[in-house]
Order: sequence, then structure tokens, then C-alpha cells
Amino acid sequence: MTLLSFITFIPTVILGTLIVHLIWPEKSLTAILLKFSLGTGLGLGISSILYFLVLQIAPGRVNMLILQAILLIPLFIASYSKAKFPRIADLQIPAMSWLQWGLFTIFIASLVISGLVFVNYITSRPQGVFDAWSIWNRAARFIHRDPENWIATLSPELPLLRHADYPLLIPLNVAWGWDLLGNETLRISMMQSILFTFGTIFLMFSALASTQTLGQASLASVILMGISGIVASGTNLVADVPVTYFVLASGILMYMFTQRNEFPLLILSGFMAGLAGWTKNEGLLFIAVSPFALIAAAPSKIRQSFLYYMAGLIIPLLVILYFKTLAPANDLMTNSGASLIEKITDLTRYELIIRSFATDVFRRETIFLFIYMLIMWNGFAWKRWHGILALAMLLVLQVLGYAGIYLITPYDLEWHLVTSQYRLFMQIIPLALFLCFSISTDPESVIFARKQVDS
Amino acid sequence: MRYITWLGTGVKIILVLLLVLFGISSMRQLWLGSIDIGDRGTERLDQWETDMQLVREALPIQRGLVGYISEENVESVEFAYWDIETEFLLTQYALAPLIVKKGLAAEWNVVVLKDDDLETWRQSNPGEYEITKIKGKFSILHDLGNP
Repeated sequence: MTLLSFITFIPTVILGTLIVHLIWPEKSLTAILLKFSLGTGLGLGISSILYFLVLQIAPGRVNMLILQAILLIPLFIASYSKAKFPRIADLQIPAMSWLQWGLFTIFIASLVISGLVFVNYITSRPQGVFDAWSIWNRAARFIHRDPENWIATLSPELPLLRHADYPLLIPLNVAWGWDLLGNETLRISMMQSILFTFGTIFLMFSALASTQTLGQASLASVILMGISGIVASGTNLVADVPVTYFVLASGILMYMFTQRNEFPLLILSGFMAGLAGWTKNEGLLFIAVSPFALIAAAPSKIRQSFLYYMAGLIIPLLVILYFKTLAPANDLMTNSGASLIEKITDLTRYELIIRSFATDVFRRETIFLFIYMLIMWNGFAWKRWHGILALAMLLVLQVLGYAGIYLITPYDLEWHLVTSQYRLFMQIIPLALFLCFSISTDPESVIFARKQVDS
Repeated sequence: MRYITWLGTGVKIILVLLLVLFGISSMRQLWLGSIDIGDRGTERLDQWETDMQLVREALPIQRGLVGYISEENVESVEFAYWDIETEFLLTQYALAPLIVKKGLAAEWNVVVLKDDDLETWRQSNPGEYEITKIKGKFSILHDLGNP
């Protein structure tokens, strides 16, 4: 069943990768790895949207494998005729220094350890955490068991804290996977989680290998696996790692746009931001803050940037808007006007939020990385400045957004912070790490600089 | 000037080495934290699923609302809130796509009560009921006054 679950998602990943290739026809070796990393999440996002549309038109009567296979045919033809596939002969592995080999070996070893850690955690709790079965797989069961009446999963009769209003990217993929295999196997949820967890790691690696160096990419990816909690969190089988993936993907693509001035990258960035919102409500906050970052990314070409960004965002955004007309109101929206003003003017709430946020911001590893970033700062290059500013704005505005939501939460603030803050910060740690390693001098330059000084 | 540059580069090399060591140490911690974890509630969840499968098969409806009567609905019974809440959510998970609502909420109701507690509940909730015993503390209550 594990192999079958793996095979189930292969057409999905290929679908996403081909779309990335068509939009961004770069053919270098690192770009190919980056395209697979981006294609994994994009494919899963598109397949969930397709299945959502199927539920509206012909519930229970469309085989998702056949539908994806049909879509793959024109995509293959278009890729072959227009974007062209890279020739194997052109894909030469660049010569690597001893330092790069060393760091790359540590990266591969860490990847193997992460795989084993994932297996250890998932075998001890195959159903995932409490929220995995009570929110996400519960929704998947509603859809899979009664597709014609799938809307029952949005019933306001369901308990408030089981979040019937949560977006459906994760449960929809699980549901069509079950449809395909004819079995409610947990391997489908696990496989989706593996794709997002390791997709995030490969995304970090391939993006930094493209924009910086192999050594920097290896170092950043090891730190990502070691400190972000993404591997263990992936085994929870909830939506935090997928939303982390989409936030990272959208941010990376926006940064790469500032470096390469290739507008199609913004189409993908917008689509990824939309998929973050289609995964979890925190993603909606990301959609709301991303236009400000886009202004920082391309202040002289705002109109053109927005057009491309919106071209990508529009499809998932329309799906989300339609979904929200069907879903019950979010539990955080139960504030009355008077209580809202009372909360906003209560200074003790600000103090509590700042103190609580400080526990996550001023951790030992964060302080070390901050010092590392300051000392390794590789100067103000005007071309990079826009990208760095855009990423910094995404992170700062997202944190401010979290603070705003906590400020008006209808729940006990302390309880809400304790139960959710760690997960929210985890969603932006990979993007923060990408920023940190984009700012810092790569290890290769440090070693070469020493050689130059010595000589 | 050359010494300052040399010093700066030396500091950077040390930082890179420290970061590599930090990364390796973090990976080691991650690995150590993942071994010998043991079962984390899976057995209880699987058992509940198995029992609820019998309830699901015995219920005559596959869609709509069913009620859920548990210790929470019996005044004289003491209960641990999170245990009861978890059982309720496990029941919702197992019975999907039926919507499970706490209390005597529909014509068909799932009962998770021992026999004497069910009797206590019946005394405080008079009505015309048909009760089908499923297994252990699991029963189905048909509210004949709520067709």
C-alpha cells in the first residue's frame, strides 16, 4: 500500500513540474531540482482544486488518475514543442571543491537521518496528532465516503474547534487518493506529508543552490532540518508543513524575480501564495501581506508586477472565495464590536503577546543565527536589496498579522498563545532561514577569501 | 590592515565551522529524540474505531444528524472533560459523514454509557425509546418520539 500511495501522487508531481517548466523554461541542473521541488506542491495544489471542481460538477463520477493523465498529454506536448526539455548532455554536474563535497555529504547524511526520524515518528503514531484525525482526515472521510453530499463537512453543527471552515487542500488530496486506491489507507496522508516535508527541504536546497552556492544550500538545508522542527511536524499529518511549504515557495519565487527580472516567476509566486490560503487560514494572512512585499520587490514596475502576480493568484483566490461562501464563519470572527474595541485598547494583551513572541524569537539558535547573519553580511548589493527587503517585509508583516489576530482572539489569550504560537512561527522559519542565508556570505567565499589573504 | 582582514576572515571561518557543528549536533538531537518513542495513543484510537464500526453498521442512516449521549449528559456521573471530549471527537471521526451532535439531538442517537448510567439518564429523560445494545458501553438509542 505504501508503494501504491507513492505511485498515486507521481502524475500529480509531474503535472506540477511541467507547469512550472512551461512558465519558467530555465534548463540548468539546479533549476531542474528547483522545478521538481516547486512542482510537488504546485501539483498537489492543482489536484486539490481539480477535485474540488469535480465535486461541484460530477461528484464521485470522475477518476482523478484519468483526469490528470488527460491533462498531462497537452502539457507534455507543449513542454516538448515550446519550452523544450533540457538535453541530458547539457546537464553537467559542476566541479565541486573539497568544501562543497564535505558540506554536500553532511546534507545527504542529514537527509537520510530526517527520513529515518520521519519513519520513527510516524510508526509511533500513524493517525497523526489529535487535529490530524479530528479536523483534516475527518473532512477527508466526509468527502470520500459521501462525495455527493461533500458539503456536510462544512456543517455548522460540527464542533466549533473542529474548524469546519478550514480550507480543503489537504483533505481533498487524501479523499481522491482514497478514491483511487479504494481504501481509506493512512499511507495516503503520510505520503502527502512526506512530499510537503521533503519538498520544503529540497526547495530550500535547490533555491539557494540556484541563487547562491552549493555549500550555502547544503548548510542552510542542514540547519532547516535540524532546528525548524519541520521533520517531526510533518509526521503530525496536519496542514502546518504544507502551509510552510507554500509560504517558502512564494517568498523564494518573489526573491528570484528580483534577482532575474523574469516576470513569469511572479505568476508562480502568486499561485503559491493562493495555495497557502487554500491550505490553512494563516495562508489568507500571507495573501493579504504579500502585495506590500511585492511593492518592495519591484517599486519601479509595480503595475506589471501586480499583473503577473495576480495572474497566478487569481485561480486559487477565486476557489477560496467560492469556498468561503459555503463554509461557516471562522471561530475567530465571533467578536462583537464592543469587545473588539475593549481588546484593542487593553495594553496588557499587547504585553502578553510581546512576551510570548519573545520566547520564540530569542531562542538560543535564533540568536546564534542572527549573530551569524550580522557578521557574515555580504554587503549591500542594490540588485539583491529589493529581494531582501521583500522577504523581510513578508516576515515582519506576517508576524504583525499573527499579533493582530491574537489581540482580538475571542479565546483566552494565554491559552491561545500556548496552543498555537509555536506552529505559527514554524510556518515562517524556513523563509526566515532562506533570508538569513541569502544575506550571509557563502562558506566557499569565506575559504577563498582566506586563501587570497594568505597569499 | 592586512591583519584586520585576516582576523575578520578567521572569525568568519570559525563561525562557519560552528554552524556546521551546530547543524550536526541538531541532527543528532533530532535522531535521539525520535528513537524508542513507543505507542502514542494509537491503540486506543484503533479500538474506538473498531467498536464504532459496529455502531456505524447498525445505524439505519448513512447521512444527516445523529445524537450522542455520554457521561456528560448524566448529572450524577463524574467525568474527565478531555476524555469525554476525545471520545466524542473519535466518534465523529469514525461515523463520518454522519454529523454527531451532543445530547439527544436526533431520531437516532449513539449512546456511550454503562448500563446503570444509561438507566439513570432514562429516568431523567423520560420518553419512548428503543435501545439496541451494540457492544460494552455502546448502544444505539432510537427516539420514537422524534421521528
